[in-house]
Order: sequence, then C-alpha cells, then structure tokens
Amino acid sequence: MNGKEWSMPAEGALPEVHDQSMPAAEGLPEEVERFNIHYRIQHVLMLSSFLVLFFTGWALKFSEVETSKSWIQFWGGTKSAGLVHRTAGIVMLLDSIYHVCYLLYRFSKGKLRWDIIPVWKDVTDAYQNILYFLGLSKEKPQFRKFTYLQKFDYWAVFWGVFIIGSSGLALTFPTKAALIFPQWTTNWIWELVYIMHSDEALLAIIFILFWHFYNEHLRPDVFPMSWVWITGKLPVEELEEKHPLEFKRLFPEAAAQVEDGKKHEAES
Amino acid sequence: MRPRTLVLPFVLLLFYVFIPLGDIYADNLSCLICHGELKGTYVTQQGVTTSLHVDGEKYTASVHGDLECTFCHLKYQDNPHTGTDGEVDESIAQIARGIGNKSPVDPIAQAACTQCHEEIYLEVRESVHGKNIFEKGETDGALCVDCHGSPHEIVAVSQAVGNGHGGEHGEGVGSAVAYDRIVHTCGKCHEKKSVSLKYGFSTKIIERYNESFHGKKYHLGGKNLPVCTTCHGAHDIRSDKDPAAMVYGENKITLCGQCHAGANTKFVAAITHKPLGKDNPIPFYAEKVLILLTFTVISGCALHILLDIFALIRTTVTTRRRVSSHER
Repeated sequence: MNGKEWSMPAEGALPEVHDQSMPAAEGLPEEVERFNIHYRIQHVLMLSSFLVLFFTGWALKFSEVETSKSWIQFWGGTKSAGLVHRTAGIVMLLDSIYHVCYLLYRFSKGKLRWDIIPVWKDVTDAYQNILYFLGLSKEKPQFRKFTYLQKFDYWAVFWGVFIIGSSGLALTFPTKAALIFPQWTTNWIWELVYIMHSDEALLAIIFILFWHFYNEHLRPDVFPMSWVWITGKLPVEELEEKHPLEFKRLFPEAAAQVEDGKKHEAES
Repeated sequence: MRPRTLVLPFVLLLFYVFIPLGDIYADNLSCLICHGELKGTYVTQQGVTTSLHVDGEKYTASVHGDLECTFCHLKYQDNPHTGTDGEVDESIAQIARGIGNKSPVDPIAQAACTQCHEEIYLEVRESVHGKNIFEKGETDGALCVDCHGSPHEIVAVSQAVGNGHGGEHGEGVGSAVAYDRIVHTCGKCHEKKSVSLKYGFSTKIIERYNESFHGKKYHLGGKNLPVCTTCHGAHDIRSDKDPAAMVYGENKITLCGQCHAGANTKFVAAITHKPLGKDNPIPFYAEKVLILLTFTVISGCALHILLDIFALIRTTVTTRRRVSSHER
C-alpha cells in the first residue's frame, strides 16, 4: 500500500493543510519502519491475550448478570473458562517479559532509544494540544517519535500488567502465594489482591475501549486503523504530519526544504 | 350446566362411601378430599396462622408419597377430626415438647420425622441449630422442614431440576437442599439482618459468598464448588466457636486442604464472609482509591477525546468555509 492512499481522508477534509505539508518527494523513502518484527509480535500477543482475558474475565466479574452464564457456557463452562483465562494471563506475562528482555538486549547492543520515556515536553505538548483543541492557539504541538497519547497508552500497559499480573498470579496459585504473604497481612491481603485484579482489569478494559480505540481506530484520520501494527511501516507523509520532529530527525534536509517552501508561500 | 356442577360432589361422595377405609391410599385420599381443596389460612387455638392445603399430586410424587397421613399426623392439638387422637410414643412427645416454641402448629408431626430418621435427628439435636431450639427454646434455627421444604413435597436431593443455581435466587423446583438451590435455602434465614445481628455473625454472608470466586463460579453454573454445607456441614452444622466445627481455627487447614493442597493458616484466612468495611481499612480504602483512579482516568480520557472531536469538527467546518469562499 502506498502512503498517498492513507492520507486520502485527510486530503479530502483538509486540502490546504495537506498541500502545505506535502514533503519534497525526492530522495525520501515511501515508508519508514516504526516497529520491527519483535515489537509487532509483542503487540499481537498482547492484544490477543488481552481480548481473551477480557472476554473470559468479564463474565466472572459480573456473574450476577443472567447472560454471563451463557457466555461462560460459550467458553466451555467455569472450569474451562478459568483455564483459558489463566493461560492467556501466562501468555501476557511471558509477552511482557519478552518485551523487557528485548529492550535490555537492545540496550546492551547500544541500539535502545529512549523515545518512549515521558519528558517535560509531553506536559507542554499536552497543554499546547488542549489550547489547540479549544481554539486558543492555531499551532498544533510538534510531536517527536511518540506523542504523549501514545506514551500514556504504553505506560498504562506497564502499570496494568504489574498490578493485574501480580494479583492474578496470587489468585492463580493461592497456596503458593500464601507462603510468600507475611502473617500480619492475612487479614486484608486476599481482599486487596482480589480488588486489585478485578477493579484494575475493569479500568484497563474501559481505558482500552475509550483511549486506544478512539485514538488508534475511530479517529477519522486513522479509521479503521493504521496498518503499522502489521507492516510496522508508516508512510513518510504520515510521519511528517504526525511526528514532525521525528521526521526532521530522520530527514533533516527534506524537512528544511519543506520549511523553506512554507516560508516562501507565506511571503508570497 | 346444572348437571355438571353436581358431578363433583357426587363423585367425591362415591369415593367416600365405597372405598374401604384402612387402605392407605384410600385413607390419604379421604384426607385429600378436604385438604386438597382447602385454600387460604387457618388460625390455630395457639393463635398461629397456618395453611391446611396439601397438594395431592405433589404429595404422591414426593419421597414420602406412600406414607399414610396419620403416619406423621399422630395427634392433633385442636382436633376437629375423630380417630387420630391415639397414643403418641413418649420419645416423640418429648421431642415435640422440645420444639414447641419453634413449631407450634403441629409439633408432633414435626417430631414424627425421627420415627425413620433418628440418626439424623440426633445430629441435628447436637448441631448449633438444634441446640438453639432444644436447649434455649428459641424459634430460630433450622429443623427438617425449614431446609427440606414442605413435608408433603419433599423430593430426593438428587432430584434437582431447578433452573440451575436457582436462576432468580434459587426459585425452582426440585429439592431445596440440592446443590443448585442450597445457597438460596440457607439464605432464607442467613440473609436476614435481624438473625445475623442477634447471633453475631456477618450481616452479608450470602452476599460475600456470592462475590467470592467460589460463589461466582457456583452462580455461573460450575459444578463441585463449595457451597454452605460443604464447609459448615448440614445436619451437624456447628458454630465456628465450636472446636468440633470444620471451620474452627486450625480445622480450616484440613477443610480447605481437601481442594487446595498445601493450604496453610495464611491461606485459609482468605475466606471470612465479612463485609468490606472500615474495620478492615486497607481493602476498604484501596477499593475507594481504585474507583477514584478509574473515574479520574476515564473522565480525563473522555474529556480529551471530546475536545479532540470538537477540534476536528471545527477544523473541518472552517476549512470548508475557506474552500467555498475561495471557489466563489
């Protein structure tokens, strides 16, 4: 697929803006690799295990709802639904370990970039974006490789896997967990573990349905989705439009040309 | 229409006259001629309101369907009938006196269960329910019919044809003490706040069970999950302060260990049926914090999304306007 197809909706809606942001095509690749095969595998494992955990866990959380019973039957009854849920949980935990190990590996090779770490610029970007939303500023924030929205998405997974994963392990192996829990915690630890797992899972599900689905699926410029999760590649036009600072870092000459072009247009 | 209305009393009269007394079915039938039809309630001499209705079909289908009525109804307290004021065995009379407060309508018939189920009676007598009735003369505590249902309609425990876990809280047919319905049956008393407060146990036992993993899976149709009687016993149910109880102190380790190999004291502390309250502040406030966190994150996200949509619409509208003015 070529990049132009993907900028079509934006082109229809915002012809002028798009004309301005058309990069100087010479010497530029059509697409830029954003996620290599490891990241893409990690993402697919994460999303599939997440969905299975969501589907099998939801009925347990809302067991008093009459339809939950038939939904559990769909998964082969409580025993098999539980088994599926725990298997998916293990997959998600292993996937998370894979991700962290892969990051460590890249770090040891000196290839790790710190683009995903939240920095002060994210706060100012968010502020700028809100101003733009409200119409108080005409300038959109200039994003680097990852926007603050994407960073939020990413770190939410870390938080979720830590809270839900650790409590889930304790609930899967309660007699083993009992060996680790200190005596003085026993009056409340089980309730706490249960609440952590159940309430955080609900938060994670709603968060994904709201945040991730809106930003990565429902927004008109990406609908139905960006194919980057399969191809790992982003059309260079999209990179320039959504991550101008990353574009500038990768293609400084082209970026300078575009800026010149803009200046000329403004002058004329 | 007149001949028709006369048929029923005529047939009944035929039965009454021609079927020889002494045959047990006939005997029951003669009782059911009236008691099958009696609807509404009746106030006994003791001032207790009761029903005199017996559903003949259900009685015949019950496990006791081939017993004569007088097998249990040995003697009536305020007797409008003749021929049933015979001698009552002293052992039964004694039990009947013991449960007089609890079952004022016909304590002798209630005590008559021991004629066949003596072993179970002895267990119940020693249980926390039995002691409360026999020793303290209380009206709380379960006797046979409180759990097994109307004595005229008792079916085998294996005959659980309920809509599985009772659907709407255990309403169903089949045995009220069958796996599918037992939690609801215990809940008839143990969901009552007054009972819980009086005897000092958690006011939300059933609710907390239903919220536990055991309860959730039970209500979702799981088999072989622990229900009330699994841990607390049935006829021999004991207070958790009774050292002989399965749920007393260290006994729990053996009890939970039946399913959870390797259970220890720290593990068995998980199940208490206690409500989440301020007396256990950590989970109580942890839940509040997590709810607040969920609410904050979700409303923040929703607001951000709404603003984004607002800006997208604005951009589209203003761009169109600019384009159309250019075209003009």
